[in-house]
Amino acid sequence: MNIAQLMKLSYDEVAKCNKCGFCLPNCPVYLAEGKESSAPRGRNATTRAVIEGRLQWSPEIEKAIFSCLGCGACTAACFPKVQTKDLVFRDRECLVTEGLYPKIADRVARFLEEQHNISNDDNEERSEWQEMIKDIPEEALNKDRAEVIFFVGCVASFFPMAQKIPVNMSKIMHRAGVDFTVLGGEEWCCGFPLIGAGMPDKVKALMEHNLAKVKDVGAKAIVFTCPSCYHTWKHLYQPEVKLFHASQMLNDLIRDGKVTLKERKIKVTYHDPCDLGRNSGVFEEPRQVLKSIPGLTLVELASNRQLSTCCGGGGNVEMVNPELSAKVAAMKLEQIALTGADMVVSSCQQCLRTIATRAKRQKMDLVVKDLTELVFEAME
Amino acid sequence: MERGELLTSLKDIVGEENVLSSEMDLALYGYDASLERGKPDVVVLPGSTEDVSKVVKLAYRAKIPVIGRGSGTNLSGGTVPVKGGIVVHFSHMNRIIEIDIPNRTVTVEPGVITLDLQNTILKKGLQYAPDPASQKVSTLGGNFGENSGGPHCLKYGVTTNHVLGAEVVLFDGTVVWLGGKSPDQASYDITGLLVGSEGTLAIATKIMLKIIPTPEAVKTMLAIYDSIEDAGNTVSAIIAEGIVPATLEMMDNLVLKAVEDSVHAGYPMDAAAVLIIELDGMADGMERQAGKILEICKRHRVRDVRLAKSDAERAELWAGRKGAFGAVARLRPSYLVCDGTVPRTKLPEVLGKVIQIAKKYDLPIGNVFHAGDGNLHPLILFDERNKEELARVHKAATEILQICADVGGTISGEHGIGTEKLKEMSFIFSESDMHFMRDIKSAFDPVGIWNPGKVIPQRQAANA
Repeated sequence: MNIAQLMKLSYDEVAKCNKCGFCLPNCPVYLAEGKESSAPRGRNATTRAVIEGRLQWSPEIEKAIFSCLGCGACTAACFPKVQTKDLVFRDRECLVTEGLYPKIADRVARFLEEQHNISNDDNEERSEWQEMIKDIPEEALNKDRAEVIFFVGCVASFFPMAQKIPVNMSKIMHRAGVDFTVLGGEEWCCGFPLIGAGMPDKVKALMEHNLAKVKDVGAKAIVFTCPSCYHTWKHLYQPEVKLFHASQMLNDLIRDGKVTLKERKIKVTYHDPCDLGRNSGVFEEPRQVLKSIPGLTLVELASNRQLSTCCGGGGNVEMVNPELSAKVAAMKLEQIALTGADMVVSSCQQCLRTIATRAKRQKMDLVVKDLTELVFEAME
Repeated sequence: MERGELLTSLKDIVGEENVLSSEMDLALYGYDASLERGKPDVVVLPGSTEDVSKVVKLAYRAKIPVIGRGSGTNLSGGTVPVKGGIVVHFSHMNRIIEIDIPNRTVTVEPGVITLDLQNTILKKGLQYAPDPASQKVSTLGGNFGENSGGPHCLKYGVTTNHVLGAEVVLFDGTVVWLGGKSPDQASYDITGLLVGSEGTLAIATKIMLKIIPTPEAVKTMLAIYDSIEDAGNTVSAIIAEGIVPATLEMMDNLVLKAVEDSVHAGYPMDAAAVLIIELDGMADGMERQAGKILEICKRHRVRDVRLAKSDAERAELWAGRKGAFGAVARLRPSYLVCDGTVPRTKLPEVLGKVIQIAKKYDLPIGNVFHAGDGNLHPLILFDERNKEELARVHKAATEILQICADVGGTISGEHGIGTEKLKEMSFIFSESDMHFMRDIKSAFDPVGIWNPGKVIPQRQAANA
């Protein structure tokens, strides 16, 4: 993207920023770094200055623009609702054109082009987690045709720490009698990391493949445990089939009596993943699921729902600037500690990894669980 | 001093990562929340009083301007570096140093966010009264520099009424303490002089503030009017009756619509104006006072008075009021907030004139303001990218301040003078008034390093 195109797409939006600064205390990156270039207002001002020719793209701008978590908390605090995340992602497209971007993104782009997953493994390995399931026949998870496709996502497929998410989700759906299948090696990355990397044009091939698979299977719905895959399908793919996040499906299954839960006397807090909550509007279903567990007490984080603080794992920042990502995760841990909960529950493999890893590094005694894990444990 | 040498010396003081000097950084520290623009030579993020003292000593020797900055939410150019220099951004100096409950004081670093202090002490049943609309992001250092107000300042007074003392760095880097915990201080009230001086006399590195118990009861009412005049007359009538509510805020139709679209707090979109009247204090007698206010409202043809039934409802009403400036940006991309004060009894007359100015310059102007204080905030809406429109906006703003001055008011309620209102200083101050101010400034700032180009116009400008 060049500046003329950027002007056309972003100028009116960025002109709505009046520099009031209300976004500053909502931005975890600004709170961590304390510099105007890390603040949403600063990013807006940078975008505007570049469009108006007062600033040239530079390595400093690259660093600032690629350290946005894309969490959207700024817009939640903004009265004219300036879409800073979208503006930042468009800036990234320009920076990619200029050759000013973290080169690690090229590797990810190459992995996605060649292997169709973010970890550069043979894509057939996507089903590795199925080996952890002993009591369900392989063919029950891998059907040619099914009502529902379970889109597992790259992180939960390949990262050992997150693999129990598809394991638990599959077990729950199997027990509840859901007619579902996974795509195995035919599931390709949804393309979300490319959007954050400023390379959205590379998403097309992945999207076309995945949409074709939905037709092949004849599915009427797709369920996601990954909020970012869910968000990408919902906002970019927009297929004609129904899209569910796992928390929504679990809520339906519980409501319809297909999943029943036994007592768990625990105090938990819930972390809203940015791409599920603020960016997709799913706040209540995961809470409903938690409240369906008898004996469970839900204590809210001081910043919840629209104002939830990112775990630090968003916007490719973990890949580009791990130190910053860790600082934000540490802030999240402080907020969690203040609730006095025994456990933090989320519904995102990335949040789970970021929070659990940080807690371990800081030697903080914290139980971190995905909603699917907690539900499976509580099933009768 | 050469630029390279300056940067090296600053890096030695605060560390390399806390010196910002790229073109991007200089552009991003060239604005505040007003329309004013400038550009510093360098930005530093100090971690301690010692850092600040060393930076100032260096600046003094090299005769380089020093401009303090908190969150940059100020509204008249106070933190905009118009003559280059070193911006000292206090984002890393944000610790609450002491909460002294028996003496009812807190001591904070300048970068503490106003609402963060409030939330910390509320848990102990105490509060810091000044509540600028930007309190969730503004810093106490900024509140000190601008002498910030807020809705509750009607009853409790503005920032200066709550500052007990401060640790300040003087022009040559010397660190001194002013004031303290005893209620009466010997010698000159220099603290009082520094609060609101917009960083033109010294820079505060620690601030000691008064805290008070939270009120036992709060009652928040929304009075809805079909005419601005009736709403304005209600304000003077309430005060004349001897009642001092905690707040007496007004919003007109244009602002109401924008706010309601943004927060959905149940504000009536068709009303000409509303008043947010809040009472706080002892529960005993509050009903009676509320009854009296209701009676006064009725006498001035109020359409309806609604009572906030829960804390959530109250919070929604306030979220709308405090986000009003931002919300109007939904109507046009840019706004300029005028900040003038008039005697309360002149409110209806002045509001009428503001409407005429809006017509004359063909600009939408909304009103959202601290009516109880007579502190107007006409919000002029426009698109900053349209230069012709921008020129009309500046003319309209000057004319509004002229009207405030003409009726016996003044050109600032709480947003300061900064650079934005330098030319209007002559509306209320004579050349000898300003000469006296310049003498004070030179006593504190013999070589002219403190935030130059602010508050007091240069001699020629004043004579013009």
